[in-house]
Parts: sequence; C-alpha cells; structure tokens
Amino acid sequence: MARFVWYITKRVLNYVVMIFVATSLTYFLASSFMSPRSNYESRTPRPPQESIEASLDRANLNDKTPIMERYQKWLGGIFTKFDWGMTPQGGSVNQEMSGRIGASVKLMLFPTVLSIAIGVSLGVYTAQRQYHWQDRFWSGVASVFLVIPTVVLAILVVFFAIEINSAAGTRIFYVTGLQSYTGGNVFLEFLDFLQHMILPTIVLTIISAVGYHLNQRTYLLDEMHADYVRTARAKGLTRKQAIRKHALRASLIPTSVNVAFSIAGIFTGAVMTEKIFAIHGLGEYFINAINGNNIHGAVAVAAFSGVCTLAGALLADLFAAALDPRIKMS
Amino acid sequence: MAEKNENTMAADEVLRYELLESNGPKGAPTGDPVLSVRDLHVSFNTEAGVVHAVRGVNFDLWGGRTLGIVGESGSGKSVTALSLIGLLDDNAHVTGSIRLRGEELLGKTDEEMSEYRGTKISMIFQDPLSALTPMFSIGDQLAEALLIHNPGMHKADVRKRCIELLELVGITDPEDRLDAYPHEFSGGMRQRVVIAIAIANNPDIIIADEPTTALDVTIQAQILDILKVAQRETGAAVVLITHDLGVVAGSADDVMVMYAGRAVERASIDTVFAKPSQPYTMGLLGAVPKPHVAATTRLVPIKGNPPSLAAIPTGCPFHPRCPMATPECAQNEPELLPIEPSEGHLVSCHWMDKIREKGLTFEDVYPDLEPLNPKWAEVPRDQRPVVLEVKDLVKTFPVQGKGLIRRNKGTMTAVDHASFKIHEGETLALVGESGSGKSTTLMQIMDLVKPENGSITVLGKNTADLRNNRERRELRRDLQVIFQDPMSSLDPRMPIYDVLAEPLEAQGWKKGDINRRIGELMSLVGINPDYVDRFPSQFSGGQRQRIAIARALATSPKILLLDEPIASLDVSIQAGIINLLEDLQTELKISYLFVAHDLAVIRHISDTVAVMHLGKIVEYGETEDVFTNPQDPYTKALLSAIPIPDPKVERTRERLVYRDGELVSASSLTRRG
Repeated sequence: MARFVWYITKRVLNYVVMIFVATSLTYFLASSFMSPRSNYESRTPRPPQESIEASLDRANLNDKTPIMERYQKWLGGIFTKFDWGMTPQGGSVNQEMSGRIGASVKLMLFPTVLSIAIGVSLGVYTAQRQYHWQDRFWSGVASVFLVIPTVVLAILVVFFAIEINSAAGTRIFYVTGLQSYTGGNVFLEFLDFLQHMILPTIVLTIISAVGYHLNQRTYLLDEMHADYVRTARAKGLTRKQAIRKHALRASLIPTSVNVAFSIAGIFTGAVMTEKIFAIHGLGEYFINAINGNNIHGAVAVAAFSGVCTLAGALLADLFAAALDPRIKMS
Repeated sequence: MAEKNENTMAADEVLRYELLESNGPKGAPTGDPVLSVRDLHVSFNTEAGVVHAVRGVNFDLWGGRTLGIVGESGSGKSVTALSLIGLLDDNAHVTGSIRLRGEELLGKTDEEMSEYRGTKISMIFQDPLSALTPMFSIGDQLAEALLIHNPGMHKADVRKRCIELLELVGITDPEDRLDAYPHEFSGGMRQRVVIAIAIANNPDIIIADEPTTALDVTIQAQILDILKVAQRETGAAVVLITHDLGVVAGSADDVMVMYAGRAVERASIDTVFAKPSQPYTMGLLGAVPKPHVAATTRLVPIKGNPPSLAAIPTGCPFHPRCPMATPECAQNEPELLPIEPSEGHLVSCHWMDKIREKGLTFEDVYPDLEPLNPKWAEVPRDQRPVVLEVKDLVKTFPVQGKGLIRRNKGTMTAVDHASFKIHEGETLALVGESGSGKSTTLMQIMDLVKPENGSITVLGKNTADLRNNRERRELRRDLQVIFQDPMSSLDPRMPIYDVLAEPLEAQGWKKGDINRRIGELMSLVGINPDYVDRFPSQFSGGQRQRIAIARALATSPKILLLDEPIASLDVSIQAGIINLLEDLQTELKISYLFVAHDLAVIRHISDTVAVMHLGKIVEYGETEDVFTNPQDPYTKALLSAIPIPDPKVERTRERLVYRDGELVSASSLTRRG
C-alpha cells in the first residue's frame, strides 16, 4: 500500500511539472498572438490613450510591459492567491470560470452517464449478434451518426424540436440556455431545467454513445473468440454465460480507459454544443476568450483542461489496474 | 433419413470388428461404449467454398481407455473433437450421430449441451497460455467449474475440492496457489490447472486436443503422466489428439489415423505400430526420425502436401501422394473395412488385400530408402577448417520489475560461458528447452558485434575486430539465418523474386546476375523457377520454408544458422526439408548451427550436439555419444523425456526427472491422489 501511495505521488508530481510547462508555453503563445489593446482601440468613441494604458496595466495585459515581467506577475498571482488574472474588461477569470464549470458539469454529467450506459450496452448486444440484423441495423445507425458533424446534428435536433413545438402549439423544448423559470416552485424549476436540458442531452448522448458502441463491440468481439471463453464453455457455462462472465470483463478494460477520460471531459464542457444551445459553459467560454483577446481566460481554460486530462489518465490507469490483475501500480 | 439409418447400420457392422482382440496394454475393451460416433460429417461455409472438415467418421469410446487421433493439420481431428463437446463455430454444419450412453447429443442447443460439458465431457486445449481467463484467479476458475454444475455446493467444500484437485495434478502448495493469477504460472503449470478444471466433475470423457504441443519436452512428459493420473482417478475415456506419434505410442490404447477428414486406419496401439497397413500411416511412421536409434538411411518424405479441405481430391484423397496409387485409386474413395477381422484392424485402401497377403511394409511401399550422404568423404573431419568458434560467450539481460514502473532488479544471465566450434560442412545442434539461452546464443552470433565476454570467431575473423558496418555486411554474406515460422519470416506483400533478390541487391549484385542466381536457387531447393512472381501465401508451409532456405542461400553463405527450421511444419513435410538440408550440406559444404528442441530430428541431422540448460552448455560432444551415453544428469532427463514412436519401448521406459541437479524417477513424483 505504501508503495502504491508513493507511486501515485510520483505520478502526480510528474503531472504538476508537465502542467506547469504546458501552461507557461500557452501563456507565451497567447500573449504573442492576442491583442487585448485592440479591444479598447476599436471602441467608438475611442477612449483616451491614458485610460487604455491604465486599464491594460490594471489587468496586467499591457503589451508595452516586457513579457517576462507580465509573466512573473501573473505567475505570482496564481501561486500566492490562486488568482488566474483578469479579463481585458477587468473581470476576474476565477469568478467567470467557476460559474461556467458548474454549467458545463450540469450539461455534461447526464449525457456522459447515459452515453456510456447506452453505448456499452449496445456494443455488448450487437457483438453477441454479429452479422445478424440487429447488429447490422445498429452498426448502420452508428455509422450515420459517426459521419454527421456535431453542428449539423445539433441544428437538426433544434429544427425538429421547433417543429414539434409549433405543432403542439406550446413550448415543450427550449433551444437555448439552461433555465428560464424564475418562480419559487421547486418542481416547476426542475421541469424547466429538464425542458432546457433535453435537446443538448440528446445531441451529446448520441455523439459519444456511437463511439462507445463501436469500440465496445470491437473489444468484445476480440475477446469472445479468445481461447479462455472456450475453456469456460467447456466447463459447462453456456455461451451467453461465458461471454458475460469472462469475455465482457476483459473487454471492459479498454472501455474503462475511455470512461476515465470522459469523466475528465465532464468538467471541460463541449465546445460546439454549448455554442449552439447558448449554454454558458466552459467550452463556450474558451471560444469567447480566444475571440475576445482574453489571454488569461484562454490560458486558464487550457490549464484546467490539462489538469482534467491528466486526472483522466491517472484514473484510466487506476481503472485498468482494478480490472486487470496483470497490471500492478507500484 | 432412410439413407442415414442405412449408413449407421453399415458403420455398426464395420465397428463390430473394432478392437476385437486388442493388442495393447489393456486388452480388448469390454462392456458397452460410453460414446458412439456414427457417420459424423462436419462442414463449414467459408470464403474458399464449403470445407468438408469431417467426412463420415465412426468410432466408439470405452471408459478407462485412451483413443489417440493422429493426423496432420487439416485432417479434421480437432473438428471431430470439438463436435463431440459441441463447441464448434456457429457456421459449422454437423450431421450424423453422437450418442453418449445411448443419448443423442447432436441437435442439442447450447443450453442443453452446457449440462453435459464439464460433467460428462470435458476438454483440455492446446495452448495453456491462453486457455485461462487472465482476470480471474486460479481458485475462482476452478471453483466456477464446480459451482456451475453444483450451485448449492458449500463454500468450504468447494475450497477443499479445489485444493484436492490442484494436489492431484501436482501443484505444490495448492492452498497458497488458489489466489494466484494465471500469469503467475508457467505454461506447464497452467496446463495442470486446465487438467484440474477438466476433471473437477469426474467426467466420463476427457478430450485432450494437442495438450502438449505448446510445451517443452520435459514438461510434455509430466503433463502426459498427469493425464494418466486424471484418467485413473475419473475412469474416463480419453481422446488424445496429436500429430506426434511418440505421444500416442506412450499414452494411447487405440489409434485412429485421420486424413482429409476421414479415418484411414483404426487399430489398437501395438497393431498400428507393428503392422501399419495404410500407405499414409506407413509413410507417417516411416517419415519421422527415430530418437532412440541411430540414423542409417535418409528419411523418406511423403511427396506433396496434405490436401486443402475445400478441394479434396476425388477418389482416395491420399492417391496424389501415394506410391501405390493406380488410376483406379482416383476413381472412388475406399471404405474403412477390416483388413484382419480377427484383430479388429480397420484400414481404408483399395490395395488392402494385396498389403495383407504380401505383408507389405514401409520399405516395400516407399522403396527409395537411400543410405545417408557420405559426410567426410574427402577430408577427415579434424582436418577441415573451423568456420565458427564461440568461446566463453556471456550475455546478460537486466531484469526489470513488474508493473508500470520498471526498475532494474539485477541481471539475468541468458548465456553463461558457452563455448563450441563448428567445422566446415558439419552440423552442430544446440538443444535445450525454452529459456535455456539457445536462441540468445544464435542472436549474439548474428549480431556480429563484440560480446559481453568471450569471443565469437566467424571464418577466422573475430567479431570484436570488425571495425564498421561495411565489414560486418561482408561477413554477413557468409552467415545467414533461417527462422522457425516461414509464414511470418517472409514478407507477405513481396513476390518470391523480390524475397530472393533482396539479399543479393544488398550485396550490390547486377540485375542479370540476380536473375540467373534466382533461377539456380529455385531449382536448388526444388521449387519450379516459373513461380518467381507468386506471393508467399500461394505456397504451402513446406514450400515456404524451402523459399526461406533459398533466400538464406542466395549469397552462397558458408554458415547457416537455423532456428527451429522445421518445428512449425507437418510431420510428412518435415522429412523433405531435412533431406534438402542434408543434400545442400553435401553439395555446398555449408556448416549448420541447428537450434531445435526436437531431439529425434537432431539425432538424425547433427554431427555434434551441445545441450544447453539455464544458459550453460552442460554437455557437448559427438551426437551418437551424447545420445547413447549421456553424462550430464540434465541430458539424461531430457533424453528420457522424449516420447518414442514405439509403444513397446515406450511402455517399459522409466522417465527421469531433473531436480536441483539430481535425477529422480518420474514415478516417484506422481502422487497417488
């Protein structure tokens, strides 16, 4: 156990160094490409020069200050106060991001769970019926959704939702935002939330379920023909029992790695879907930050994504070690 | 349906003669058979067309007896076994009848068959490394076999029975081993666990499909002994499927020889070996080198290749390869009929009567027995130059810890001060079990670099003195290698021309010279030179190995390193490759360093032998001396473990087991459970 803890500690320390280097590089890159100054200069009427300089200095975004000086100040803020800096407008990146992470989690949690459940079950179901009509049907469906870009799928879903809304004569589905009800009734508030959630959930679930379905099908098919499944059948297990008990477990090892990364993805949000459904999550924030010359915001999102990805990687190893006795974490 | 009944009745009529007066250790079978197979046909729909894997097989199994099913790859022996236990692929089409104590098994669903599997019929598979689920402990997998048929069994009873079973198959400290995972066990240990699982519910029938093919010879001997213990404990009928006639000789009571999906000969063990009466069986027995007698004649290969089951020749399927074949043989297929009704010896051949009346044997049917090529005709061996000398060779590997972080845990010595030398035109065999360091030695020689310790001298040049890769490349022209698996050592996307031209191009040959040389090479190894534009996949395994030999010979090397060159080939093909190697040696004065684990082949082909054990050469000397008068205890154990294709010799032999530098008799180790 002690060796296990030491091993994990070593891995985490490694990751911290990696994230530090990656984030610093992102900072320099963003600083050289983005120009927060233009945000002010393009305003009409153009603010006075002193005021522009003052605002930029306050946000530590002034390109007239040497880059290393800005970098040191920015880094100092992070290490002493965990302050990730200011936006060109003077807002706090910390504050903006924390709200948006919450929105992303709300959006992503359910579709992630749902897509894993549906995708893996479909994969198992179709693998056991390889080349039968069920398998052909679902593989066909999966291929169709695999080639439809997210944006197109989202717009199609929105289109049908609006059709249904107008056919019903009442607004069943909301196509933007996460909530609009402002009253005090908890039940109605939840219903309102569901009405907002359902469309992005459908889109996100379909997109990632397709991946899980096709991968799980392949993994299980590989394992189903393994010799040890035949041994299990020779013991007296039926074909179905042997697959469920022996092949499935092995086929879940690579899936668990995907699951680990999906869990990390819950926090980083979904760029396209958030943009289309006007959900103010982290994905949308990232695009807005890049468009709006929000250097600190973009770097913070990049750093956070890095943390999530590495956490996912660690989680993936833990899952694999838990499922496969051949892997030892020490 | 009427036709089927007729077939079944005809089969019963023939099988009446089956093993009437058995020539074997157990005499003739008594009582009713446990399992009766009648007119079994199995076919598969594949891309190559309908494959008729089994075509009308009949046999009976009796409790306590072992039926050996012998055949080459594609003879239908494994498919027959899998159909007994109902584990064929879904696309298999099975007809006929398989009756277990009178109850018909064919036509049962997977759920119904699962009631029989494990309890009545169980199976042991070829590759123990992949036969156990890597994610579950040994104990769980054993317990599963018990619990699936006895759901109410008490936990403590399950554990007790598991320990009992592991003890029976000879696993030490069974209590501690229950929690171990398969990857912590060696191949031989895993096969013991598989056997324990197979006998967990005292089955009536145990099917062992090539149970020792993937194992080393000493482990093979142990597994075969344990199989006998398992049979004694359960009283089961055992079906032992193998291509190795030595394995059959020591373990089976009755033998069925299969060829192209049919039984071609069926008799008790001693009859088959004493009086093989079907030309294929004769050839099979004659084509294998004998490990227990010195070679006096060249091997006689059965010409051609085993047929593809998608295109079985009309008439007797063996006729294209049979030296006795007449046009009549190509007309219709002979039935399996009694050749000697009083002995219950069944044979399928049109010339059965002639064979019986004249008492034809292998020597009569395959008349080309030639004396061995004279080896030291011109110059006595001692005066021939030494082409390869290895002195005190050492190779160590860092041992890495398991898991994601690999730290060095010291070193493992793979080759430990090995020394040997090879004269011109001579064959040195390097023998040993897996992990003994024989392949590592080969790789060290091939690298042509300075070894960790000691020296390697190739054709008078010390590899430590080679200054650059150009010198190495020049030396490499004289030193070529042939690998075990011709399937994977030839690039499947290269036509044979390119395969053969590559080494020549690497040595800077001109186009015209290359073309001429390739023609020469193809004729040299006995392949039609017109086939140069074909791809490796269009050739059979034996032909592919010939191509690999041609590739190695392209640059006219002085030394060939052969790493298990015939291990992956069918028995009837092996003899042809051995003969080819012998001819090439006589003709071209090449020296061979022959790495192999098949001691019979080594006795046949080599002049000197070096026995390796744990990286050390424990015995080194003239082949005949080593085989007839081994000095080292490990060599003695190794030689005693070889299965000998002669049931009478095999039965009286006492196996020796090497334990911590001492020899003990195997019978003292097999516990009476």
